[in-house]
Amino acid sequence: MSGRFRTVDEINAKIKRGDAVVLTADEFIETVESRGLKAAAKEVDVVTTGTFGAMCSSGAFLNFGHSEPPIKMWHCWLNDVPAYRGLAAVDVYIGATAMSETKGFEYGGGHVIEDLVSGKEIQLRADAYGTDCYPRKYLETVIILDDLNQAILLNPRNAYERYNAATNSTDDTLYTYMGTLLPRYGNVNYGGTGQLSPLYKDKNFETIGIGTRIFLGGGVGYVVGEGTQHSPQTQFGTIMVRGDLKQMKPQYLRGATFTGYGTSLYVGIGVPIPILNQKVAETAALKDEEIITNILDYGVPSRDRPLVRKVSYAELKSGKVTINNQSVPTSPLSSQKVAKEIAGILKRWIQEGSFFLSDRVEPLPTQREFKPLKVRKAELRVGDIMTPEVVTAKETDSVSAVAELLVRRGIDHLPIVDKNSKLVGIVTSWDLAKAVASKKKLLKQIMTRKVITSNRDEAVDVLAQKMARHNISGVPVVDRENHVIGIITTDDISKKVVGGGTR
Amino acid sequence: MRLKLTYPPSEVQRPVLAEAVLKLGVLINILEATVNVNKGELIVSVEAEKGKLDKVIRFFQDNGVTVDKLTRILEIDSDKCMHCGACISPCPVGAFKLNSDLTLDFDEEKCIGCKICVTACPTRAIRLVT
Repeated sequence: MSGRFRTVDEINAKIKRGDAVVLTADEFIETVESRGLKAAAKEVDVVTTGTFGAMCSSGAFLNFGHSEPPIKMWHCWLNDVPAYRGLAAVDVYIGATAMSETKGFEYGGGHVIEDLVSGKEIQLRADAYGTDCYPRKYLETVIILDDLNQAILLNPRNAYERYNAATNSTDDTLYTYMGTLLPRYGNVNYGGTGQLSPLYKDKNFETIGIGTRIFLGGGVGYVVGEGTQHSPQTQFGTIMVRGDLKQMKPQYLRGATFTGYGTSLYVGIGVPIPILNQKVAETAALKDEEIITNILDYGVPSRDRPLVRKVSYAELKSGKVTINNQSVPTSPLSSQKVAKEIAGILKRWIQEGSFFLSDRVEPLPTQREFKPLKVRKAELRVGDIMTPEVVTAKETDSVSAVAELLVRRGIDHLPIVDKNSKLVGIVTSWDLAKAVASKKKLLKQIMTRKVITSNRDEAVDVLAQKMARHNISGVPVVDRENHVIGIITTDDISKKVVGGGTR
Repeated sequence: MRLKLTYPPSEVQRPVLAEAVLKLGVLINILEATVNVNKGELIVSVEAEKGKLDKVIRFFQDNGVTVDKLTRILEIDSDKCMHCGACISPCPVGAFKLNSDLTLDFDEEKCIGCKICVTACPTRAIRLVT
């Protein structure tokens, strides 16, 4: 089945003559449906693809040229966004997720790149320690893209073949790099463009490799290698890409903010897939119905987020998916409209003869382990710093007796348990003060029944984030059967973690 | 028609909305409500033709409630919008969707001005007008 149809050289000769047959991935799928894969593959030379999504692992190398007197920049800011400064004197790297020191989440490296490409003026500020060869210690000026010697977009990880979709099982709205996730599976957000996805259309990496010429940000770019975290055997392959910012257009390179997460850069990428053989033709013809991804629960703040269910891009793109028999609305985070536009532009470039395909210099790996980071130092868990001796009460206890108990024991949080020591509620000293003022008699009249809890194995950082989100200062620790086995307060965390630790 | 009803502290204790329903025989759907001792703010949708609607508005005004017609709540900057759709699924009333040409569609009639889309938009293209 690995019949060879044509070579890149043969396709380029046809592009030169103006008779190459080029279709977008959407059009190729239609052709395959109406005429069959064999006929379509025989006729079509190139299938164009497109994606336009937030790609956080993006950034640009900039060279400013030398000032008089010259400076060896030690720190550097572009519109108050810090740029990486460990490269000679006047080379910097501005990363998409670096954030402004004055505007924070609302402006970052991605926005700097968009503003540069738009031709806007950028405030450049740098300091230095001063050397015999670079005496200047401070510099403040304004630059535009045309002033720079080089402005090279170099993105370490772009264009995931597909991406996990996100939902949220918790009772709180979460703000993530996958957008706003409503409580109790209230919505699903997904990334990627399914049947238009550049890398999925060549998921066996038969054609894409080092040196592949692509559409990048409105200009011409190249694949320079596998992207970081490249995991092609699980269909999470990625590419590293390079292009000249001076050729690019702001509508295909957009700064973005994900509330609560930070800044990013929407990058437009289109890869031409030459239909060299049967295997590429098959993957280029894959439809949204056949491209499956995972819906993960982003409510679990862990590296290994639980799988909620598998889903096709067709279902995701329909606007609704079913989770636990409920119909849940979906959002694409990648612009399907701009992705389609990019596939169309790349098709036109090739048809007009202004874009030729390049033969790759090296293939990309088709097997790559994506290893986790091992944290070798023992880290504190809730069980390590909780107070195991917990004072509890019953919901039938009286307010006055319990108030006396809290004062005597000097505690602020009182878990309420049933006769089996299972947690049923919580009362704080503030609740008691209010109860005394409003003359309520029993704990069950005043206790909070929906209790935020922790468990022995929870990481202290995760608990601290949870307590901050709920604005609470004490949390009962429970076992799997909801028995109260301890209590942990912000005091415990600040004394035992910040204050040097007891273990 | 969606209305924003603002009750002054003096009127918060009175069931003005219930009276309107009973006396005028009109259907009023509460979309959002903030009520405490200091103020009451309701966003309601009223199903009624023009003449009846004017009567409802007058009734609230006569009872000390400030009425604002919510005709235009959001402004979407078409230069900034990338049609990414990040606003679609968080919207509690389903006011956004993608058209068949994949451009973003916003149904003003459904919007209750909750602002969740304003923070969900990655390019900050959505602004609350009122």
